[in-house]
Amino acid sequence: MCFKNLPVEFDEQGRAFLKEGVADPYSYDQKPTHGNGHPTDEQIKELLARNGHIQEVNFDPVTRVAGALAFHTVVDLEEAKVLESNSMATLFRGYEVILKGRDPRDAIFISSRACGVCGGVHSVTAALAIEMALGIQPPPLAIALRNMLLATEFLYDHPLHLFLLAGPDYSEQAVRSTNPEVWELATRTPAPQASVHGYAHISDIMTDMNPLTGHLYLEALHITRVAREAYVLVGAKYPHPQTIVPGGLSVTVSITTFNEFYPRLIQCLDYAKKAIAIWDDLTEFFYSANPDYRRVGSRPANMVDTGIWDDIDAYDASYERCNEWGDRRWATPGVIVDGELRTTRLQDINIGLEEFIEHSYYEQWHEVRMPTDPLGAPLSPWHPWNKETMPKPAGQNWKEKYTWDTAPRWDRMAMESGAYDRLWSTAVAQKMPENPFIHPTGHSLKMILPKGERPETEVEWHVPKNWGAFERNRARAYCIAYSGLVALNMWVKGLDLLKQGETAVSTSFEIPRKGRYVGAGFWGAGRGYLTHHTIIEDGALANYQILTPSTWNASPRDPWGNPGPYEEAVFNTPLLETYSESFRPENFKGIDILRTIRSFDPCMPCTTHIHTSHGDIVREVNTCACGVE
Amino acid sequence: MPAGLSRDEPEVSPARVLIGGVGYRNLRDHSVGPVLVEHLAKLDWPQGIEVDDLSFGPIALVHRLREVPPYDRMVLISAVERGRVPGEVSRYQWSGVLPDPDEIQARVAEAVTGVISLDNLLVIGQYFGVLPDDVVVLEVEPAVEDWGADFTPVVAQALDRVEELAREAALDGLSSLRKEQLKA
Repeated sequence: MCFKNLPVEFDEQGRAFLKEGVADPYSYDQKPTHGNGHPTDEQIKELLARNGHIQEVNFDPVTRVAGALAFHTVVDLEEAKVLESNSMATLFRGYEVILKGRDPRDAIFISSRACGVCGGVHSVTAALAIEMALGIQPPPLAIALRNMLLATEFLYDHPLHLFLLAGPDYSEQAVRSTNPEVWELATRTPAPQASVHGYAHISDIMTDMNPLTGHLYLEALHITRVAREAYVLVGAKYPHPQTIVPGGLSVTVSITTFNEFYPRLIQCLDYAKKAIAIWDDLTEFFYSANPDYRRVGSRPANMVDTGIWDDIDAYDASYERCNEWGDRRWATPGVIVDGELRTTRLQDINIGLEEFIEHSYYEQWHEVRMPTDPLGAPLSPWHPWNKETMPKPAGQNWKEKYTWDTAPRWDRMAMESGAYDRLWSTAVAQKMPENPFIHPTGHSLKMILPKGERPETEVEWHVPKNWGAFERNRARAYCIAYSGLVALNMWVKGLDLLKQGETAVSTSFEIPRKGRYVGAGFWGAGRGYLTHHTIIEDGALANYQILTPSTWNASPRDPWGNPGPYEEAVFNTPLLETYSESFRPENFKGIDILRTIRSFDPCMPCTTHIHTSHGDIVREVNTCACGVE
Repeated sequence: MPAGLSRDEPEVSPARVLIGGVGYRNLRDHSVGPVLVEHLAKLDWPQGIEVDDLSFGPIALVHRLREVPPYDRMVLISAVERGRVPGEVSRYQWSGVLPDPDEIQARVAEAVTGVISLDNLLVIGQYFGVLPDDVVVLEVEPAVEDWGADFTPVVAQALDRVEELAREAALDGLSSLRKEQLKA
């Protein structure tokens, strides 16, 4: 059974259809905003008035340049728990509105600007959407190069997150000031993988994670350069490439390109060995220091991912065969529910999508442009192909509207998205193409990293039993290896194609001036799920809908009162920060909440305001500057 | 150094001045930096003066400046909101004074995640030691922040003045640097 909540069933051939006898299959009744044991607004007000130890914690959008995410929580410092949490996207940027009526090719360049780190993923996703709509199949070398580029982009992205953005939360500076007892333990704890990363004690790792001065911090800055160099050797420009086109790439590559790419890739793969050892050691250390760290950022392992990196022999851009070429991807599409793989079929993933706006600053759309997908499967009126973006600013009210983000749901469940989704689905599904470097086992992903300056190394990511902030970061470290090895596979395939004289890097096409064409780009960003859904009418974009990882993760409550992933993970986070007897609320750093939010690698710069009875405290969560739409 | 690998270094390196624009494109008044340097790059300049768009991110700029010979003077052009009268042009010498480490880290975090900003470039460039001692900043107060390729009239009128100041700062800088070198 693929869907438990949507009124969709399948026949023996796997074709989806609406359940019979359901009068209004996609209708729903809105439920109160506070569910799942959360106290009501009235209860919170009463608690705040009655108890001095209960604090209202706001993460407000006051970055100097581009605040886009805000977070509000109420915490009980005595009980060391979070009572309430709300995630707010505070910025409307309107790419979907800007794109309407434009030439479809503009989507490649305009949507890229949605993110300052991962612009290239939007470009490719837009190209894929146009390819599907217009039936453009890229040549094999173009597919291999596109994969190389997008794997390399993540070699920039993951180190950046792990050591420049999230890393400082685990540095000596942070740990000493928030949990001195943990720091003291770290100074006495040998690092199990010292022979790999070179640090004798856990405290040595933490010291080198100090922002600005730590060696690991500076090394990550350097490795981002190496990855960027590798990217531009093929893609010419980063992070907003001008070389992505429907049907492939507008680049010229030669054996020299591949030769120059290779040493940079090997440097990144060497770096992956070290990054994995560091995050393994850090994670296990924190768990041993206090098992409650497993609960930081915890929520059910509910994830959605459309997969990424196409098989050069399978991808034909068609929706009709999307399940076949989807299953052949180097990262398998997948929906994980409570840690179990529910489906890998791209069509199932697609028809299970809905976006709700009960708590968002948008007007409800009513027109249903596509009651079914191109294969005749039923689509919800709230599906991205039916959605229309109509902004409607309003005041903030937790019970009503409080965010510019929508509430995307799959089978009416809140799903999170991250690079780790692709590890999980690929490991469990065991469908990725045979290759010498990456081996899914059904419960883990074994990866063989070739010799560089460091010896050949086998690493193995295991599907975790508990899902939370530390596992998100640990998995992201393994994703450096995974992405690098996909790039290496593509490097080998691309070189083989060149040697065989298969040098075409694009397929020519024309934008038809008449008619209606429907497409979707199913791809992935550094932070996971990314789709662009488009309808092209008479040569122009009639509708364009972008669904990013942060749209999923920063989601507000849905019509049934269920929180989005950030909200749920923060709500579940124990406050493990140490309060001394002389503790004063203004000294509360909120480190466990910050670790939770940052573990999602949110695509929005956010400054955190912690409001206490002693005034405002500001904490920053600067992350990838890619926003929800 | 092994025999055969030595090379003759010039006793005096030629003076180098960089005129750089900083900002986003297609953001109307906020695009003054990249648009103006695109125009300036087409003009003839004496040897030693280079013009470039530096809007590719402060960290990437740090990487780049580490691999080229150091500049003696930088002239940076950008539109920055400081609460002045829209269209007002400011010229000042960057002090090189850094904020506290938390603030520097915040700037780095913004920079690596794609935020393009003159202030971030100055702080990060200074912290990582890639800026010359002599940095002249030319700022224009924007009137609007909006999508589009055109400037508001007040900012459009200010462009000639910014160009004049940029030319003056670059040429004077080059001239005085050469004089100093000759004296030395």
